[in-house]
Amino acid sequence: MKILVCLKQVPAKDAPLKLNQAATWIREDVSFETNEPDAFALEAALRLKEAHGGEVVALTLGPARAAQVLREALAKGADRAIHLDAGEAAAGAPPLDAFAIAEAVSRAIAGESYDLILTGLQSDDAGYGQTGVILAELLGAPHATIIMQVEPAGERRIKVKRELESGNFQFVEMPTPAVLTIQSGINKLRYATLMGIKQAKNKPLARMTLEEIGASAGLNRQLVHRLFVPSKSKGTTLISGSAKEQAAALVAHLRNDAHVI
Amino acid sequence: MADSVQHPEMEAEVVIVGGGPAGLACALHLARLYAAQGRSAENILLLEKGRALGAHQLSGAVMDPRGLRALEPEFASDPELGAIPVEDDALFLLSPDHALRSPVTPPPLHNHGNYVVSLNRLAQWLGAKVEAAGVSVFPATAGRELLWENDKLIGVRTDDKGVGRDGRPKSNFEPGYDLFAPVVVLAEGPRGSLTKQLLARCALGGANPQVYSLGVKEVWELPANRFPAGRVYHTLGWPIPPELYGGGWIYGLGGNRVSLGLMTALEYADPATDPHNLFQQFKTHPWMRALLAGGELVRFGAKTTPMGGWYALPPLAGNHWLLLGDAAGFVNSQRLKGIHLALESGRLAAEAIFAGALARYPESVRASWMHEELWPVRNFHQGFEHGLFAGLANAALQMATGGRGLHERYPSVPGHERMRTITTLGDPPPRLTPDGALTFDKVTDVYHSGTRHEEDQPSHLLIADTDICNRRCTFEYGNPCQNFCPAHVYEMVFDEHGAKQLHLNPSNCVHCKTCDIADPYQIITWVPPEGGGGPSYDGM
Ligand SMILES: Cc1cc2nc3c(=O)[nH]c(=O)nc-3n(C[C@H](O)[C@H](O)[C@H](O)COP(=O)(O)OP(=O)(O)OC[C@H]3O[C@@H](n4cnc5c(N)ncnc54)[C@H](O)[C@@H]3O)c2cc1C
Repeated sequence: MKILVCLKQVPAKDAPLKLNQAATWIREDVSFETNEPDAFALEAALRLKEAHGGEVVALTLGPARAAQVLREALAKGADRAIHLDAGEAAAGAPPLDAFAIAEAVSRAIAGESYDLILTGLQSDDAGYGQTGVILAELLGAPHATIIMQVEPAGERRIKVKRELESGNFQFVEMPTPAVLTIQSGINKLRYATLMGIKQAKNKPLARMTLEEIGASAGLNRQLVHRLFVPSKSKGTTLISGSAKEQAAALVAHLRNDAHVI
Repeated sequence: MADSVQHPEMEAEVVIVGGGPAGLACALHLARLYAAQGRSAENILLLEKGRALGAHQLSGAVMDPRGLRALEPEFASDPELGAIPVEDDALFLLSPDHALRSPVTPPPLHNHGNYVVSLNRLAQWLGAKVEAAGVSVFPATAGRELLWENDKLIGVRTDDKGVGRDGRPKSNFEPGYDLFAPVVVLAEGPRGSLTKQLLARCALGGANPQVYSLGVKEVWELPANRFPAGRVYHTLGWPIPPELYGGGWIYGLGGNRVSLGLMTALEYADPATDPHNLFQQFKTHPWMRALLAGGELVRFGAKTTPMGGWYALPPLAGNHWLLLGDAAGFVNSQRLKGIHLALESGRLAAEAIFAGALARYPESVRASWMHEELWPVRNFHQGFEHGLFAGLANAALQMATGGRGLHERYPSVPGHERMRTITTLGDPPPRLTPDGALTFDKVTDVYHSGTRHEEDQPSHLLIADTDICNRRCTFEYGNPCQNFCPAHVYEMVFDEHGAKQLHLNPSNCVHCKTCDIADPYQIITWVPPEGGGGPSYDGM
């Protein structure tokens, strides 16, 4: 199987975030890491390759720093990588929207035939959850989301397990090529070994700019006008009366003010 | 972990442990010497326990350019590094409510010609050059053990990955590598865990024991034009008790940011001393309060620094090993500077490795400006052992006598030996309750250090006997671990019988090594947790 894994570099989970001056995005002065569900997508791809043979190609779209997620993917066992270089203007700017990313990816891989394209379920920064789905649409391929398991099911077919709400699952058989968006926590991530890190240096890492592939990126259809930090407020209200009155007042409060029931 | 684990092996020419200025300078210079001969640097290996190069790098920092200039003559004009020339410096003497600007800045604190830098950024900047030079850099990888063949050091074992809290391998277990090399370079910074193993095994040490200070630091963002880039202020006095060595700093970083912090010597008598709390008090000084008004905390970190000076240096080289930078103890405690010395020690070490003659390294250190700088201040720190005023008097005397003072070598004792039991002391020093705006508790600060560890792993704080903590220490010293740890790793909680019991939060650890140093019973051993864990000192 020839598998493409799309990885995004996002601000590290525990990074103390601050808004930029115009409050359109966060400041660059944090460390970055591979988007969590994408790491599980890579792990799923590597396991499929180990079990059934084939090739794993890692792809990212982002500024120069984003190439780090590719080096890590290569160190863990991806065969080669593609860096869609969004230029340094992309660093610190609000992220491209899901359509712009999907369009750029579809152009970058035009002419290559992948059996499977895996993305994470959503990104930890923008959280659109749409990139993989739009990419499938642009490629004219079927897709399935929130995937927990993938296995081959005969010639050009796979069987996947989707997570539904309240602990239910759906099993779907579908044709390939297909795009799957992968859920976090579905497998145990491997560590890059020292040998893997050393060998990664000699694996091919292709770089292409958005202009080179003719992507219209930058033309975000969805614009971030302003971000707000949720303001935390704490207040204590003492409810008096009989137990019955107190209970009724509490329920009314939870329903009408806190909107939790 | 079972002994039956097979460790993959790798042969190397040199293994460098630690990606601080010392280790990176050594790697870079050696790779360049190799390149001049057309040799590949691939078998120079550099291990760094931080997630990425620079992640564990925290400093003040005002850098003397000598060390970096020898490696990168044009560093000052590179915007990627962003070094800011010092424009203005001053020393302030603080009493609880006054700040007296010293009419003259004492010569050691003259910073004209120096640069304000972020050590985190410097490490990333040098690291990119090291990688480009072809060195095999392994981030998120800790040197866990030294490998010996009888009494010959033959390499380093790296950390096992994927071991559960119960000590058992998880499904993604990866055993550590055995890296074999004729030369092992220890550049682990202060109180290195492999350095400690080496010195203990070979029974090595300096003429004086090493002593340390803990620096607690925050980066703040201030209203525009409050504190210019390149301004360098130092403070002496309050809130450091007069009998203790220490002082504060405020450096203008540009972009409306300042670095501020307080150094406290880990040589105090009162076990209730809490360097993190002292730093919070420092910010409440009226002069500091005015400076920080309207500002905002951006980052936090804490790290120790060796202060013993020349007489505390252990032997710098053996047949198969070298000690660099803070791991050896190259810090000028009078100027609170070590970056330039770490860089130069790395460069000189690379020369010796390249020549195939490790013994040349200590010789070249002795013949270099490192010795010229450190020798006259060899007694500076010890002169402060009776506090600020005795220290200042001694410093003046030493300056007049070329560093000698009253006797050639002022002795010193390990800091933890100065700690006194609570019954011999009066009331504990005052503590401040943080307000969450100007002053912060340890947990809030740790959040601003970007610290993260794999939760399911064995504790990396090895406590030889917790009975000592729960029974003896509670009564003798009142569990000073709760006070000296700046990251709330150590906590005394009540068990079901109402007795105090030690509880550890290893995931909070910012890798400062204070516990290993300051524990009065010396029963805490800090070992590296799974590689990649620890702080993320962006911009520190
Ligand atoms: C608060 C503070 C303020 C300071 N201010 C200044 C200043 O203004 N100017 C100045 O010149 N100096 C200053 N110093 C001193 C200066 O920062 C140090 O001298 C310098 O960083 C030493 O460099 P190093 O490479 O020897 O060690 P470090 O910078 O400590 O680097 C050691 C590296 O090794 C890694 N490591 C350790 N053990 C292992 C292991 N077993 N396996 C893998 N990796 C490991 C660590 O994670 C770390 O990244 C300050 C120090 C402190 C603490």
